[in-house]
Amino acid sequence: MFNRVKTGALAALAMALATTSACAAEKKLTIGVADALTGGGAVYGLPQANAVRMAADEINAAGGIKVGSDTYKIDVIAYDDKANPTEATNAVRKLIDRDGVKYILGFCCSGSTSAVASFIGNENAVMLVGNAAERSITTKKIPNLVRTRPPADFTGQAAGTFIARKGQKRIAVIGALDVGFYAQYVDSVERELKKVGSEIIAREVFTLRDRDMTPQLTKIRALNPDAILVVGYVESAAFVYRQAVELGMVIPRYGFTSGSEEQFLRVTTSEQMEGVWDLRPTELDLLSASKNGIAYHANYSKKYNASPSPSSPYAYDQLYVLKAAIEASGTVDDTAAVAKAIRALAIPSQVVMQYQPVDGKMFDVNGQAYTANGAFQWQKGKWVFVEELPSDAKAYSVFLSTLN
Amino acid sequence: MNRTLTFLAWLAAFATLAMLPQLITVKYYLHLSILALIWVIMAQGQNLIQGYTGYVSIVGAGFMGIGAYSSTLLGLHLHLPTWVTIAMAPMVTALFALATGYPSLRIKGHYFAIVTLAFNLIIVIVLVNYKELTNGETGISNIPKLWGGSRDAYFYLVLLLAAFLTLLAALIARSRVGEILLAIRQNEDLVGSIGIAAWKYKLFAFVVSAMYAGLAGALYAHFQGFINPEIFGVAQSLDAILAVILGGSGTIAGPVIGAFLVVFLPELLRFADSFRLILYGLILVLATIFMPIGIVGVCKALICRLSGKGLRHGA
Repeated sequence: MFNRVKTGALAALAMALATTSACAAEKKLTIGVADALTGGGAVYGLPQANAVRMAADEINAAGGIKVGSDTYKIDVIAYDDKANPTEATNAVRKLIDRDGVKYILGFCCSGSTSAVASFIGNENAVMLVGNAAERSITTKKIPNLVRTRPPADFTGQAAGTFIARKGQKRIAVIGALDVGFYAQYVDSVERELKKVGSEIIAREVFTLRDRDMTPQLTKIRALNPDAILVVGYVESAAFVYRQAVELGMVIPRYGFTSGSEEQFLRVTTSEQMEGVWDLRPTELDLLSASKNGIAYHANYSKKYNASPSPSSPYAYDQLYVLKAAIEASGTVDDTAAVAKAIRALAIPSQVVMQYQPVDGKMFDVNGQAYTANGAFQWQKGKWVFVEELPSDAKAYSVFLSTLN
Repeated sequence: MNRTLTFLAWLAAFATLAMLPQLITVKYYLHLSILALIWVIMAQGQNLIQGYTGYVSIVGAGFMGIGAYSSTLLGLHLHLPTWVTIAMAPMVTALFALATGYPSLRIKGHYFAIVTLAFNLIIVIVLVNYKELTNGETGISNIPKLWGGSRDAYFYLVLLLAAFLTLLAALIARSRVGEILLAIRQNEDLVGSIGIAAWKYKLFAFVVSAMYAGLAGALYAHFQGFINPEIFGVAQSLDAILAVILGGSGTIAGPVIGAFLVVFLPELLRFADSFRLILYGLILVLATIFMPIGIVGVCKALICRLSGKGLRHGA
């Protein structure tokens, strides 16, 4: 009789344990991604969404996010915002209101990101911005918003110093200058050029949908510049590089694009790209990458059968930042506590980008992270990391804090 | 009897919409409903010039942008209350519409469409490049919202305005002015030959249409809290044209149905991921080919066939 009771009690205990562990295994944390999955911005947005999914798979495979005695497996919902402000608002409203998502990642493009940033401060949610480079996104002091990519003018300052050092005096700019952050990048370059007596002699504009830039290039060629600076999305910039060669412009070509080799080679040839400089955040490059970066490149290439775009780890890192913050704050429900924990984080060991901490933390008081900037040159079919560009994250952070 | 039925149908539609904030548990759908009601205002205006007068204007979103920016900038720089700036937005837009309508309405057909398309492009170029005023492509954030951003309250404001402006459009359509507009659509030369200055009526339709768009823009700006030039591009003007065609050109109910379709359809198709826009485009193409008279037109034709009566125009 006693044995039967003992057996029954043990069976009940085993069932209870099994039920408890089953409940723990079933806990799910849904993460939202709002990004440009179609249209011109998809060259940045799609790899970002892929990167978040890959990070989620890795975290899930490693056991998930641990909050006290609970373990959360991550589920990712990604919506296309077409890099359009109205679409982005609709996508985020759907994530928050319908899907009950509290953590939203992605955000490759500035216009759509700014639209969401304008109301996210009133929401019970945390927004982690990736590739969107418009400076004003992190000047509003929104407590539940952080960004992994540095603003464009932080990079522009470093790029200007590099170009000035090369000794070219008359630089012609051609780019998507009606896009705010590209204009901010060029303004920063110009400030640095003026310090050494160099100047920008032309600012020719193309729109993000333009493919024939020969009129602007012909005009620039007539001015006989020492170099050209190209700022724009990958595809447009690739057309400029190609058409400059076709027009016989044998001068140094600098750029700010963050495109992968694959993306450029869809438009131009390796020969036409030879010698082009890309002056941008160090981002992902096999020659400059850390161990994490090399592993990220290999895993991404294997999973998606394509190379990751250099900027895609901004989104990958977002999820590891979020994981660390949730585990540090010990909650998934209290978004204010998680947002606060993000600001207090040291750089997590799993991130791919090479962040420069400010006061020992990954994000400064504005919610802004900084990566090193680098000079990359196209050499024989590859982007080659040549040197790191001097960048003072602390000084820029102080400057950013003064803006509104 | 017919009029009574129509009135009751409108009343039922209004009552159903008025109950939406109570019926909808997921606020995302309320968000979309507010956008759709803003598009109802936009589409009713578009219908006046496109549906009744027969002039396809591709500057609707541009005028919407003028309304959005004027309301925002008047509030930011002159510190006027938001409801005052919303009220002023259609007036400012009307001034621009007068200036652009007078020369462009001298031409007809495709040429008019092309000229208005050019105006939309110019408006966007100015919004992008006049950075000192508009902040360029970066846009303007933190635009003041009414009632602390309460979506329920804003829904009722937009619903009342959409209902009032739909009623106003119906009154215009049924007035002598509306009849002349319809006559211009049918045969403009004939209208001129009986001594009616058609250009005055065309200009009236164009300006009123722009005022509707300007108000829609102001309502959009104070709802979303953010504007930039991209929102007011040619693609959005084409959406306004589509709303009128899909719903039923030259009808009062058509733009209402069409506005809800152009807002809800792309959202409902999100399940299709990257095929969403292909699917959306396909639906629009098929709808335009097989329902050139729009949903309202198809419904009317069905009712007429069932009741054995002929189809009336412009009802």
